[in-house]
Amino acid sequence: MSNKKTYWKGVAQLENKEFANEIASNEFSEHLPVNDFLKEKKTLEESSTSRRDFLKFMGFTTAAATLAACETPVVKSVPYLIKPDEIIPGVPNFYATTIYDGRDYASVLVKTREGRPIKIEANQSSTSARCQATILSFYDSNRAKEPMFGGKSISWSKLDKQIKQKLSEVKDKKIVLLTTSVISETTLDLIKKLSSKYSNFEHIMYDSVAYDALLDANLQSFGLRVAPKYHFDKSDVIVSFGADFLGNWLSQDYSKDYVNGRNPKNGKMSRHFQIETNMSLSGANADKRIQIKPSEQAYLISNLYRALIGTEQIDERLKGVYQNLKKSKSSIVVTDSSKKDVQLIVNAINHRLGNYKKTISIDNPCFLKKGKTDDLKLLVNEMNSGNVQVLITNGVNPVYNYENSKKFVSGLNQVETFISCSLYNDETSSLADYLCPLHHNLESWGDANPSLNTYTLMQPTIAPLFDTRQFETNLLSWSGENNDFHKYLKNYWINKGIDWNKALHDGYFKFNQSIRTANYRKSNLRNFEKVEVNRLELCLYEKIGLGDGSLANNPWLHELPDPITRTTWDNYVAISASTAREYGLMNKTVANGALNGSLVNLKADGVELKNLPVIIQPGQAKGTIGIALGYGRKKSGKVGDNVGFNAFPLISKKYVDIELAEGEHEFACIQLHHTMMGRDMVKETNLDKYIKNPTSGNYREKYYTYKGKLPSDQVSLYEEHDLETGHFWNLSIDLTSCTGCAECVIACQAENNIPVVGKEEMRKSRDMHWMRIDRYYSSEMTKQSAKKQDISSIKMYAQMEEPSEDPEVVFQPVMCQHCNHAPCENVCPVAATTHSNEGLNQMTYNRCIGTRYCANNCPYKVRRFNWFLYSENDQFDYHMNDDLGKMVLNPDVVVRSRGVIEKCSMCIQKIQALKLEAKKKGETIKDEDAQTVCSSACSTNSIVFGDVTNKESEVYKLRNDDRAYDLLDHLNVRPSVFYQTKVRNKQNA
Amino acid sequence: MRKELYLGRKIYLVLIFSFLFSNSIFAQIDGEELYKTNCTACHVMTDKRLVGPGLKGVTDKYSKDWLKKWIINSQEFIASGDEKAIAIYEEYNKQIMPAFYFTDEEFDALFAYLENPPVEEIAEAVVASTEQVSTSNKYLPIIILILILTISYILLILKNKLKSSLGEATESIPQTFYNQYKIFISNKTNLVFTGIIAFVVISNFAYSTMMGIGVYTQYQPEQPIAFSHELHSGINGVDCNYCHSSARHSKHSGIPSANVCMNCHTYINEGTDEKGTKEIAKIYEAVGFDPDSRTYIEGYTQKPIEWVRIHNLPDHAYFNHSQHVVAGQIECQECHGPIQEMEEVYQYSELTMGWCIECHRESEVKMEGNEYYAKLHEELKAKHGKEVFTVEEIGGLECAKCHY
Repeated sequence: MSNKKTYWKGVAQLENKEFANEIASNEFSEHLPVNDFLKEKKTLEESSTSRRDFLKFMGFTTAAATLAACETPVVKSVPYLIKPDEIIPGVPNFYATTIYDGRDYASVLVKTREGRPIKIEANQSSTSARCQATILSFYDSNRAKEPMFGGKSISWSKLDKQIKQKLSEVKDKKIVLLTTSVISETTLDLIKKLSSKYSNFEHIMYDSVAYDALLDANLQSFGLRVAPKYHFDKSDVIVSFGADFLGNWLSQDYSKDYVNGRNPKNGKMSRHFQIETNMSLSGANADKRIQIKPSEQAYLISNLYRALIGTEQIDERLKGVYQNLKKSKSSIVVTDSSKKDVQLIVNAINHRLGNYKKTISIDNPCFLKKGKTDDLKLLVNEMNSGNVQVLITNGVNPVYNYENSKKFVSGLNQVETFISCSLYNDETSSLADYLCPLHHNLESWGDANPSLNTYTLMQPTIAPLFDTRQFETNLLSWSGENNDFHKYLKNYWINKGIDWNKALHDGYFKFNQSIRTANYRKSNLRNFEKVEVNRLELCLYEKIGLGDGSLANNPWLHELPDPITRTTWDNYVAISASTAREYGLMNKTVANGALNGSLVNLKADGVELKNLPVIIQPGQAKGTIGIALGYGRKKSGKVGDNVGFNAFPLISKKYVDIELAEGEHEFACIQLHHTMMGRDMVKETNLDKYIKNPTSGNYREKYYTYKGKLPSDQVSLYEEHDLETGHFWNLSIDLTSCTGCAECVIACQAENNIPVVGKEEMRKSRDMHWMRIDRYYSSEMTKQSAKKQDISSIKMYAQMEEPSEDPEVVFQPVMCQHCNHAPCENVCPVAATTHSNEGLNQMTYNRCIGTRYCANNCPYKVRRFNWFLYSENDQFDYHMNDDLGKMVLNPDVVVRSRGVIEKCSMCIQKIQALKLEAKKKGETIKDEDAQTVCSSACSTNSIVFGDVTNKESEVYKLRNDDRAYDLLDHLNVRPSVFYQTKVRNKQNA
Repeated sequence: MRKELYLGRKIYLVLIFSFLFSNSIFAQIDGEELYKTNCTACHVMTDKRLVGPGLKGVTDKYSKDWLKKWIINSQEFIASGDEKAIAIYEEYNKQIMPAFYFTDEEFDALFAYLENPPVEEIAEAVVASTEQVSTSNKYLPIIILILILTISYILLILKNKLKSSLGEATESIPQTFYNQYKIFISNKTNLVFTGIIAFVVISNFAYSTMMGIGVYTQYQPEQPIAFSHELHSGINGVDCNYCHSSARHSKHSGIPSANVCMNCHTYINEGTDEKGTKEIAKIYEAVGFDPDSRTYIEGYTQKPIEWVRIHNLPDHAYFNHSQHVVAGQIECQECHGPIQEMEEVYQYSELTMGWCIECHRESEVKMEGNEYYAKLHEELKAKHGKEVFTVEEIGGLECAKCHY
């Protein structure tokens, strides 16, 4: 061996001797601040302290500090002086209330601990991911905290006086109140009172994402400007032209009904056709998804109608839809079209099919959407012409979400007095003369009338955090009345004969409303002919997480992976693979395993947006792009500012031009593998096969043993845990009814104190969510077709990575599977993860030393490592580092520190509380009381939790169902979590 | 510690008996009972007013007949126009004293009791005597050491005396010690032996010191109000759950809020001594209560009481009081020690994980009569073939029972 061998540090060293010498002499290429340290050389030399002395002192102080640290500080316990009767420290109280932020509505139960709300649970309606996350927005330290005049704080009494003065000064010009849809009867009543008090008062409602076309069409067809109630559970065939009813459409949760109509157990499932441009949540769940360009929608709907009345041949693409609709007895056709003429045709189709009164009830309407975008347009014009003297806004942000924001701002300059009532000092409020900060829903009184005869009440769950006031109080005091809104509300309903205490306790009441029901009236229908468009088309959408961006300062929602793209902290231009190739756009995985994408510049009829990231989306219609609204806020607060870009200026644009821009965008995408690569994580079958054989699709591999061929769960080297004695907790997840709505993810985050890690960390796959919802696309390549075509396995796997252009999509929630032969338990050197006799895999944080062996040995990759101390850390400036944001933490769950592994505990705190309650009462546990937070949040009941030793329990029945299977069952780890095969209904679709 | 207290209790009993026998016990017991059940809601035995006047020397102020009339029906008595009766009625804001019907014997017993109210020397005597016992115990090792030194000194002097009487050379006492030491260390066996002993002693000391880090048994911080559990719980027999009500419902036993204190201390505004009165005044200070007019001061800024927490479990350990008190049916004293005898509360148990585990290994689960356990109990009986099961056997040592 020659020891003259030279090791080159790199090509640079070979080529550039000088540079090479420099780096050779400098071992640490980073700059070390040695000079800063030794600046005062003289003083150092004069000092008598030698290096040895220094080390001695160091040693001594370290030891002293260590010993001193052993002394615990004195802890003070400060009890209440006068304890409220209903509060027992350590025991949660639940209050029935309503969440309505002008857009999303939910009747909820709020869990409070020692007087602070910490969790939102469903009451009369189901909750959504956004609704679950409002609890964090409540503790947002960036909320507007005090009334302001011209940027300076002012007292409420002064503000009231000045505003009343300003309002009464109005003579010829207008006072305009601009709000979102108001669904409260008392609020409308108060607005009426205020308008009668001052002259030229006008109230305008608008929704950031408008439903004018649908409402106006119903006005024309039925004489009511409402959205009807859709019974997705009662229809055999569901046809949606772009309406993402499982996502954000009409801000209603239809998933429960939808899933109820799709239970394979009944031997019958609805067939769902989704004809859309972007890959939406509804499209992902559809039995048949048809990709169209937005420009084709009107023609196809028109064509379907004409085919149904027999005047035209059905378009080739809609053949299946047509035949199914013809055959079916009850169906629903919906569309998201923003053209009233198109909505009228849809009404005509539904009428023709006899759907009204069967699956669509117009006489049981929903009142959540009332906005008129045209009114806002008129208002902006009037503002610009100087006709508006006082503008009052409540909970709206047109400077951000009105398409022509510049015109609105220039109009504001013509308005003499601009009063903004808002939760935040946002884009709009920051331009206001008077800022009246609002109470959050959780601090307010109120009522809501979401649908006919249904009323829910809103009650405060905590005293106001800041010097804020609710909008109704403003209305009362500006109309010169006693500003006690609580009293007003109470009297209002008591006078109408409502049992107030009962209603408040339940959170809802029924009250008969008179409504003029009208029969269907025929309108003249426009014919839409087939058009050929050769330009790139734009289709905007709202994300499941952020929606229209009003909750943009909520880090949970930013970090919630989009169910389809699995990307966080971004919006982007979604484009199909073939169109991307045309423009030379690409997505690639870089060395650290993260996703990068090309950038484009976008131009659309006067709007220009630069450097937008591109994501290649399987299932995106060719020649189209999809962009999410709700991003690109400028004044939302520390979390939401400058995340993504604002797409509201594009809201009425149809065609766009894009060109490749320099550079690359770094995505924080947490799932880069698009397909299952020939494995069967998700087992699926079709309804006809399922009816013939309920175990279809649920194939179990058998293995050779000395006893003959056996399925893996009958082969074991381990000593078995005794799972018969006592409880054995299991969790069943039905992949047929899981729509991928991600509500469980946020609910889990809220319950289990899961930190937010931010985009940088997400990009490094250091996400902390205890449960994820994997999304898989089908691929053109399968093992069978590779065999047939004799394709080499390398080539086969390479092609399998490519999702097909028109993929089928499956969602699979994955959390710790609580294996009863857990691979993680065997490798932990300190026994920090152990098994319980109730079938749970326990994680003991205070024992964990962070070797991460368990995470490496986990076949499901559900263990999360705390790379940093996320709480108390200003590097993670989201919510856990400020005193207010910390209030949302659940006191029953530990906040994990740096260097430990964490994972799903199957809500052990809830199991323990459940058992304790039963023990104290001396009763057995009721099956319906056993809930994890994901199972109770799941609006489609696809997650079911319970004790399988209880033969009556739902989970026991599911465990023994023919559809039940263990994830990766060939590993034989015997999980306590199991799945039900996905059943589609796609024959003849 | 226990022995001392036990001794203290004996002395206390002896004192009580001697005191009781010195008086006419039979009248006393009867009268005391009458007084306590009927009068204490509104009167105290001092000259302080509560709802009604203090009863110190009341039998001197008024004649027994007058008192009888007043007690049996004060309203009628006032209406009859008795001057004294009207005066007292006016003085106390026309508050009506309810009527009490006693027999003559009962009146006699009551008046006998009122004439000779019990003296509060008892408690003081007990305190003094326990202190004496504990002092003598504390200095015991030092006394023994001094004793040994004195004996060896005397012996050495004796030895010298004997030697000098025999005419042998004597050595001074320090010299003797030094020589003995020389002889001792010249022997290697001795050295090794001493070395081993020293090593064991030092290691033992170091080990126990290290293990003691973070353990605060006997931790007895000074509290903002010198509340005596001995007085409230021990002597007055207030049930633990009266103040710590959430122990039955919650994971926290709960430090009572000031309004719970005020349930009694609205009326009891005096302590057994001046110090006690001062301490009670601190509650009034916190809630803004005027003991003289017996009203809450309006617009008063209330000041929360900052108690010093004694029992601190680390944040990563979950402990639930109601689990142990209701489901486990264990007494407070099992963990908190003889709380009813603590003038000032200290931490009785170690509250270490080892201590928890030890108890979970030994304690049996109260399964009888609890429907929750019925099925489990049957299964366990079939599996293990015995009747009684410890907490450990139903999974009470599993990590996630306390850590999540």
